[in-house]
Amino acid sequence: MALNASTISDNELFFGHKACAGCGGSLAVRAALKVLGPNAVSALPAGCMSAVGFNFPQLSFANNSMITPFAATAAVLTGIEAGLRAQGKKPDDCTVVGFAGDGGTADIGLQALSGAIDRNDDVLYICYDNEAYMNTGIQKSSLTPFGAKTTTTPAGQHVHGCLTNKKNLFQIVAAHDIVYAATASVGYLPDFVRKVERARDMRGTRFIHVMAPCPTGWGCGVDETVDIARDIVDTGLWYLAEFEGSALSGVPGGVFKLDRNPKEFASVEAYLKRQGRFRALDEQEIAEIEAARDAAWETMRARWC
Amino acid sequence: MSMVEVLWHGRGGQGAFTAARLLGAAASLGEGKYALAFPSFGPERRGAPMCAFTKMDDAPIGDRSAMQQADFVVYLDETLLGADWERELKPGGIVLVNSAKPTAYFGDQRIIALDADAISTAYLGRAIPNTVFLGALCALCDRLESIDVHAAIRQYMAPKLHDKNIAVVDAACAQARVAAQAFGEVATLDNAEALGADEPTPEVVSSQDESASAMHPPRPHSIICTLQAGELDPQQFAHTTCFSAGHLVTKNAGWRNERPVINGALCTGCYQCYFYCPDGAIYKAASSVPVAVDLDFCKGCGVCVSVCKFNALAMISESEANRA
Repeated sequence: MALNASTISDNELFFGHKACAGCGGSLAVRAALKVLGPNAVSALPAGCMSAVGFNFPQLSFANNSMITPFAATAAVLTGIEAGLRAQGKKPDDCTVVGFAGDGGTADIGLQALSGAIDRNDDVLYICYDNEAYMNTGIQKSSLTPFGAKTTTTPAGQHVHGCLTNKKNLFQIVAAHDIVYAATASVGYLPDFVRKVERARDMRGTRFIHVMAPCPTGWGCGVDETVDIARDIVDTGLWYLAEFEGSALSGVPGGVFKLDRNPKEFASVEAYLKRQGRFRALDEQEIAEIEAARDAAWETMRARWC
Repeated sequence: MSMVEVLWHGRGGQGAFTAARLLGAAASLGEGKYALAFPSFGPERRGAPMCAFTKMDDAPIGDRSAMQQADFVVYLDETLLGADWERELKPGGIVLVNSAKPTAYFGDQRIIALDADAISTAYLGRAIPNTVFLGALCALCDRLESIDVHAAIRQYMAPKLHDKNIAVVDAACAQARVAAQAFGEVATLDNAEALGADEPTPEVVSSQDESASAMHPPRPHSIICTLQAGELDPQQFAHTTCFSAGHLVTKNAGWRNERPVINGALCTGCYQCYFYCPDGAIYKAASSVPVAVDLDFCKGCGVCVSVCKFNALAMISESEANRA
């Protein structure tokens, strides 16, 4: 059944948390847990969602949930799943799910994630990407895009922000021939919810990379979270795609699919200018960002459609 | 003069530590004057309760630990003013609280209310209450001169913030003088009359709770999950951290400056506001209006307004809502 605002569970499984107003990450966790249900067991590394969700003796998760060492999200997921199975305590609707940020996934937790995919452990890994280490006060991660100002990539007279490009995490994960991987955005929540639902009903390692704006770190209004998460897709700076590995698709090497292929892109300049983190960028840099986007889409359209 | 201690209660993002630091800077400008300022907070986000401390003395301050009691206890957010506020106050001390309510509402000689959100909004365009209380302390604390606070602002804040914050300090200083004086007169009247006869003092209740129950249908209990483990006794805290979500969670309403209101005539029941709320604070209601807002947990981000295609939601300021 396709889940939408009317049909999704009314249960609030991530509730009363201490995230900033308008937090994109908390929206991703809330929506995902609504799909996965109260028998899901979640694990979160050091990061915003663990900091704001576990305030002893208050727990903002209705399902069982635990905090992992920073680098170990996927390894702990593996252990939880194996432990539940060994004890015979894993009902059919129990999804072992990890929620880690961009830093905890693409930098610090990458080897554990790679190991879990390699073993094809029966876990769902959701990376909520707010494009920097927001929990510790906005430091650059390898998923911080070119041009974004963070405390470790400050904007000055000569350098206007982050000098490196966003790591292509989705393709790194897909290159493992993972069972299922997808990208999403909290701005297109029905798409994200559909992908979580799809992943829930599969076995083996699944991975979803969801864009989750952070008003505090991005320098935008707290009411703009959802709109900006749509904008990043509409501008083509993010994409909604799926990967079905060879086990699922029957095709050696797996199959990529583009879920949204805009005929025209929304204005990159307008998207960048509405955020404080990109304020220092000049016209040439904006043109570079557009050119990089066009090159990426040329490849995606040629190979993924 | 002996040491003067100031305890700041705020929520992450309100600038309590900045104010504590500016106060320390102002109080240590002169020859032979010393100050210490430091914060204390947990892992919570913008909106979560935190404390900051300022100590001011004529001699170097050796004790770097947090104070248990202070001469001035400042609440940047009135919902933080709990029933046990007296424990933190030295004899002769004063509580300053950011509130749109009149000072008389609090019904105690030692509590002075200032509408710091309104003052800061008037000068800064945003409700950033911290520097308002620097101004108030100028009026109330002998150790502090507003000229020193001006100098501290010039020294420690970004240049573009200087003029506006100095204006805030001066306006707050004037208002605090009036408030302190006016309160001295009101306080001689019958406190019970000012408060309402049977309202217990000093229990401070947010009026948001009252208006919430009057305006909206109650949230169905079934919406918040309970765990299969069944009811847990609070005695078991040490043995398990498994609780129903929301069950023991402190409310998040205090950080909100604005709240969403629903125009039932325009609402089509598409539930997009419910779907996209990062806090799950909008719920499907069994009433004539399809959705309602859980004002205990709404942080006032306004995402619901931005996703409503039918203009059925609008943000109104808390002070406006409380007046209504």
